[in-house]
Amino acid sequence: MGTLAGSETTQATSSGPRAGAALTSRQRVEKALAHEEPDRVPLDLGGSMTTGIHASALYRLRQGLGLEAPGTPVRVIEPFQMLGEVGPDLIEALGVDVVGVNRLNNIFGFPNEDWKPWTLFDGTPVLVPGRFNTEPGPEGDILMYPEGDHSVPPSARMPKGGFYFDALNRQEPLDDEHLEVEDNMEEFGLISDADLAHVAQEVERLWPTGKAILLNLGDTGFGDVALVPAMQRKLVKGIRDVEEWYVSLSLRPGYVRDVFERQCEIGIANLARAYEVVGDKVTAVFVTGTDFGAQQGPLASPRTYRNLFEPFHARVNSWVHAHTGWKTFIHSCGSVRALLDDIVDAGFDALNPVQTSAAGMGPEDLKQSYGDRLTFWGGGIDTQRVLPFGTPDEVRAMVHDRMRIFGRGGGFVFNTVHNVQAGVPTDNLLALYQAVADFRAY
Amino acid sequence: MPVLEELRQAVVDGQAKAAVARATQGLEEGIPAEVLLRDGLISAMQEVGRLFEEGEIFVPEMLVSARAMNATLVVLKPLLATEGSEARSEGKVVIGTVQGDLHEIGKNLVAIMLEGSGFEVVDLGTDVSPERFLEAAEAGADVVAMSALLTTTMTNMKAVVEALGRAGLRDKVRIIVGGAPITDRFASEIGADGYAPDASKAVRKVRELLAVKA
Repeated sequence: MGTLAGSETTQATSSGPRAGAALTSRQRVEKALAHEEPDRVPLDLGGSMTTGIHASALYRLRQGLGLEAPGTPVRVIEPFQMLGEVGPDLIEALGVDVVGVNRLNNIFGFPNEDWKPWTLFDGTPVLVPGRFNTEPGPEGDILMYPEGDHSVPPSARMPKGGFYFDALNRQEPLDDEHLEVEDNMEEFGLISDADLAHVAQEVERLWPTGKAILLNLGDTGFGDVALVPAMQRKLVKGIRDVEEWYVSLSLRPGYVRDVFERQCEIGIANLARAYEVVGDKVTAVFVTGTDFGAQQGPLASPRTYRNLFEPFHARVNSWVHAHTGWKTFIHSCGSVRALLDDIVDAGFDALNPVQTSAAGMGPEDLKQSYGDRLTFWGGGIDTQRVLPFGTPDEVRAMVHDRMRIFGRGGGFVFNTVHNVQAGVPTDNLLALYQAVADFRAY
Repeated sequence: MPVLEELRQAVVDGQAKAAVARATQGLEEGIPAEVLLRDGLISAMQEVGRLFEEGEIFVPEMLVSARAMNATLVVLKPLLATEGSEARSEGKVVIGTVQGDLHEIGKNLVAIMLEGSGFEVVDLGTDVSPERFLEAAEAGADVVAMSALLTTTMTNMKAVVEALGRAGLRDKVRIIVGGAPITDRFASEIGADGYAPDASKAVRKVRELLAVKA
C-alpha cells in the first residue's frame, strides 16, 4: 500500500469493535459530536453527498496510494456531482470514520446497480449505474435523462469538457393565479417499503464495520436548489427553475411556506419510519443541504432564514432529538456567519462544509464563538485555492492549523470544505491525507 | 414628478407590474423614455446596488428588482431606439460564464446591474468558448466580463485573455472577472484588468476601468 501505510494507518484500521483497541469509529464520532476530545479527530470522506470526492480525484488518490492497477475504474455513486465510491480498502487506508446510507434511487431516479464502464471527459475510467443512459448533446455536451428514460426530455447536462452535471431548466410557464402546492410535492411521499428495506439493509450491512453511519433520506432539504429541479421526475410542474425558486423566497413566501409545511410532515413521518427499522444504529442524520451563503455574505437575509426556514428546521431537529439518539447535520455553503445564531437556535448539532474561504468564516472566530454549540463537520482544508492550486506544503500546513483550531475540545469531524473536486493534483491529495494521519491524534 | 418616483420605488421593491404601469403612465404624460430610463430605472438599480452592499437586501430581492427593470425595459426599449438615444450608452460590455461552466445567476446579476447603470450589455450566456468571447469582442466591445463558479473552470478565463491578446485586442478591451473562487490575485495572475466580488461592485469596477463618471 502507498504513502499512508504506517503506524497511524495501522491504528486507523482498528475502528471495528475490538477488545483493548482504541475507540471505534462510531465512538470517535459520537465523542466529537458530544464536544469531547476522542483519541483522534474523526475523518469523513464519502459519508454524504457533500463530504465526498469527485470520481476523477478519487481515481488519482487510489492510484497515488497504489491501491490498484492503473486503469482500474472507480464507481460513480452520485451521478450529478459525479462523486466516486470510497470503498472499504480506501476507508481502511485513510482511517475514515463515517459511512453514508441513502435511499434506493439516486438523484436521477435510478438505483446504483448493474455497473457499466464509462469514461469522464478527462479520460478517467469509471463505472456508472446501468440506467446512466446519456446521449451526446448538440455541442459536444452530454445529456442525462430522468430514470434513464430517453422517451422524455433530458433533465441535466454536462458541458463538453465538464466534470459535473447541472439541471436543465424545465420550468413550465408559471401562472401565479393557479399555483398549486401539490405541483412542488410530486416527488415527496411516504417512504416505500422497498426504500425502507434498502435503508435497513444498508444499516445492517454497515453496522458491524464500527463506522459512524450518516443517514440521508432527502425529504427535509427544504428548498435545496440541487433538489428543486427534481431531475428524477420525467415531467415537472410547479417552481423548478433555480432562479425562479430564489425569486419565490421574496415574491411568494406563502407558497414556499405551504410547500415546506407539507414536506416537513412527510419528512418527519419518514424519519420516524426509518427510526423504527434502524434505531440508534445511525449516528447522525443529514437534515438539509440548502445553501444559505454566497462567497461574500448570506444568499438570503437572516430575516428570510428566520421566517421561512428556521421553523421547519427546528421542527425536524426537535423531533429527532425527542425521539432518537441521532445528531442533526446541516450543510450550507458560503458565508453563513450571520445566520449561525439562528442555525444554533434551530437545534442543529453539526455544521458542514464550514467554508472558511468565504467572508466572515475565519476558523478561530468560528471555533471561539460557536465551538461549544456546533460541531464543525468540515473546514479541514480550503478547496477553492489551497487544495487545487497550492503546494503540498501549503496543504500540509493548513491541515495542521485546522486540526489545532477546530479540534480543540472535540466538536470537529475532519472533512474538506465540500467534496474534493476534480483537478486536484495527486501530490496534494496525498499530502492532504498524510497530514490528516500525522496531525489527527489528540 | 411623482410618477418617476413611483416607477423608481416599484423597481426597488421588485413590483414588476406596478413598474410597467408607472412607466406606461409616464409615457402617456409625455415623459421621454430616456428620462424614465435614467431617473426611473437606472436610479432604481443604483439604489438596489446600494441596499445590496449595505446588507439591506440579498440575492432574491436583487433578482426581483432586476425582473421589474427588465419588464419595464421591454416597454421603453423600442421608444429609446426611435428617440435615437442609444449613443448615450456608457460603454459596451460582453459578458458570459466561461467554457465548461453552466452557472449563471451571478453572471446575470452583474449583467443586469451593468444594464441598469446605462451600459450596453451583450450576454453570451453560459459555457462560452474563448472563440465566442473573441468573436463578440471583435464585433466591438469596451469590456469583456467573465464569470466562473468552479475551480475546474476558472482556469479557462486565461484562455480568453490569451485569445484576445493573440487577436491584437488586448489593448482595446478591459477584462474583468468574477465568481465565487475568483480573487484579485487570480485576476492579476491571468492578466485580467480587474476583479469584483459582487454585482454592485462590478459596476463600479467597470466604470473605474473605463474612467466613466458615475
